[in-house]
Amino acid sequence: MKRPIIAVLTIAFALAAIVAAQTRRGSRTNKPATQTRLARGAPAKYSAFLHSSDKHKSLACNDCHKIPTVWNAKRDFPDVADFPGHDACVRCHRPQFFSRQAMSGTGPVVCTVCHLRAAPREAARFAFGKPNAGDQSAKPKDERQFTIEFPHDKHQNVIAILQSLRLNPRLLRVSFVPDEKKGDYNNCTVCHRRNDELLSAQPLPAPDSEDQFRKFFKTAPRSHDACFACHWKNQKPVNNDCGGCHKTATTFVPVLMPKRISAKFSHEGGKGEHVMECTTCHINITRAASVRGLTPDVPIAACTTCHKDNKKTTYPKVVTIEEEFAQYKTSNACVYCHAPDVGSKKPPASHDAAAQ
Amino acid sequence: MGSRPPLNMKVNSSPFRGGLPPANRCMSVNSTRTAFLSAILIGGLLTLSFAGHTQTPQTTRGVIRLKVRYKSADATKELPRKRFFLIKGSLDENKSLADAIKQTTLGSRACYYRSKGASQRLIKWLEDGDCESVYCRAIEERDVTGADAVPEFKNAYDSALQELKTPEIARRWLPNYLPADLRDGYYNLKQRTVEALLKQAEALSGKPSMSIMTDRKGTAYLTDIEPGTYTISNLVPIETGKTNILWLCEREVKAGDLSIAMRRPFILSNEKDPKVKCEVIERPLPVCN
Repeated sequence: MKRPIIAVLTIAFALAAIVAAQTRRGSRTNKPATQTRLARGAPAKYSAFLHSSDKHKSLACNDCHKIPTVWNAKRDFPDVADFPGHDACVRCHRPQFFSRQAMSGTGPVVCTVCHLRAAPREAARFAFGKPNAGDQSAKPKDERQFTIEFPHDKHQNVIAILQSLRLNPRLLRVSFVPDEKKGDYNNCTVCHRRNDELLSAQPLPAPDSEDQFRKFFKTAPRSHDACFACHWKNQKPVNNDCGGCHKTATTFVPVLMPKRISAKFSHEGGKGEHVMECTTCHINITRAASVRGLTPDVPIAACTTCHKDNKKTTYPKVVTIEEEFAQYKTSNACVYCHAPDVGSKKPPASHDAAAQ
Repeated sequence: MGSRPPLNMKVNSSPFRGGLPPANRCMSVNSTRTAFLSAILIGGLLTLSFAGHTQTPQTTRGVIRLKVRYKSADATKELPRKRFFLIKGSLDENKSLADAIKQTTLGSRACYYRSKGASQRLIKWLEDGDCESVYCRAIEERDVTGADAVPEFKNAYDSALQELKTPEIARRWLPNYLPADLRDGYYNLKQRTVEALLKQAEALSGKPSMSIMTDRKGTAYLTDIEPGTYTISNLVPIETGKTNILWLCEREVKAGDLSIAMRRPFILSNEKDPKVKCEVIERPLPVCN
């Protein structure tokens, strides 16, 4: 009698384990990173500044930061570009600066939030916006204390139109060289510019002459310049309403280099042929309400609107998906769009469907 | 006659010689069978669980490829850069919403900005780019200085230069120094109308609506849609030269992938098409008071 019970218990246990595994898998990704809390009053606690602490959260940004920082001191446009003055810290943290305990040892650790060393004559500071903690320069990830909220859909509504492209046909090319002087009609390229730097960070095939033209993907805005053109004043959120775009987070690592599936794709096109509008291929962008979780995916069907055998009459020189399939059969690699990490895998069902 | 064991019980004839008593043979067969079935069941469950994480799920969602065009004078044009909304439910189910959409009156862009005291040059600058606000095009040097300058831009530029000091930044950041009504008043008015209608739509259908913007060829893709019947509309009339057009259409979405949608676009037009269930309302642009 006992054995069937054991068997039933085994099944129940297996089911519970599966359910638990599934649940844990889901929650693991959502669990926010936590920061080790240091003991109250411990000097080391004050070596790391947290915007998200209860006290700091209760303050307005311009209670501490001067907006803008001294005119043109650090940027070529008005911005919050430097740490707050001493007064902003001392008015609450006097004991951490001047008590006997603070002065013992290597000096008040609170100084190292901004300064390289805690010394009376130490004027050198960390780069603003980067460290905010004495040990952060050694961190491998670009961790920040704020997330970024950016509603793509609203900005698309406002800025992007066709007629401007027609007036300035050069912008029909998806990519453009940032230092070229020309009229900036507003479309995606107002904020997203060509990013050749990614070339060195991607798993690439051996360079060949054709790759010279394969200028890769896009940058995302990295400074307030692009935002303040409209949001400096009057148009909310304005310059001193940091919370309009940024939410405090203990650790936020922006994705500056999304995973590339078609690493050999070039916006410039082999011969400058990719002249479509951005959203023609990036079909989900105009419905994305936030940059969080935004996937600028391009479905293979977008590629096969041109890269298909039956389009050869219109685009005689185009490399087609059928040709790539034929090549895959002989070499087990798709090389026209993909680097070996992806190209050596079996083509997915979506590619078969697109080829039909 | 001694007592006989029950018929369904097999008697072990060999004597017990210590150690664990031998298992009852009948019980042993049952247990083996149960254990075997359990192993198959667990194996199956684990395989399913693993497969669920590694395989691409079957397509159970739908895609609509929207293609919007309109006939104006003799030419048919594609409608670029306009937002369309996908609302759960048929036109009949959304009748009260459709009535509200039809009753909504929104003046023309030119009338709005004229009523706010905009100069003719500013109105033309907006119309040239089909802009609802000044944000939709970069303001160029010639818009600020010279014979064709827009007076509002020139005034704003002067204020910006005084504060920002650098001519290049003053020009680029110029919209910050324009009065709100002239900057994006019409766009905001339109957005408020759209938001009110969307609220009504979502209250009616109980589902969030989805929206997408057409590209320069008037194409847009609505992806990852739950199969069912939907209303597709631009909610507020779109200006197309001398008229404005409002679409109220119905579309049944079936599960399918993008390649199917590419072959069969859903065409919205201001021309009669018996294959498409659409109410198209085209009116001449209102005359400004």
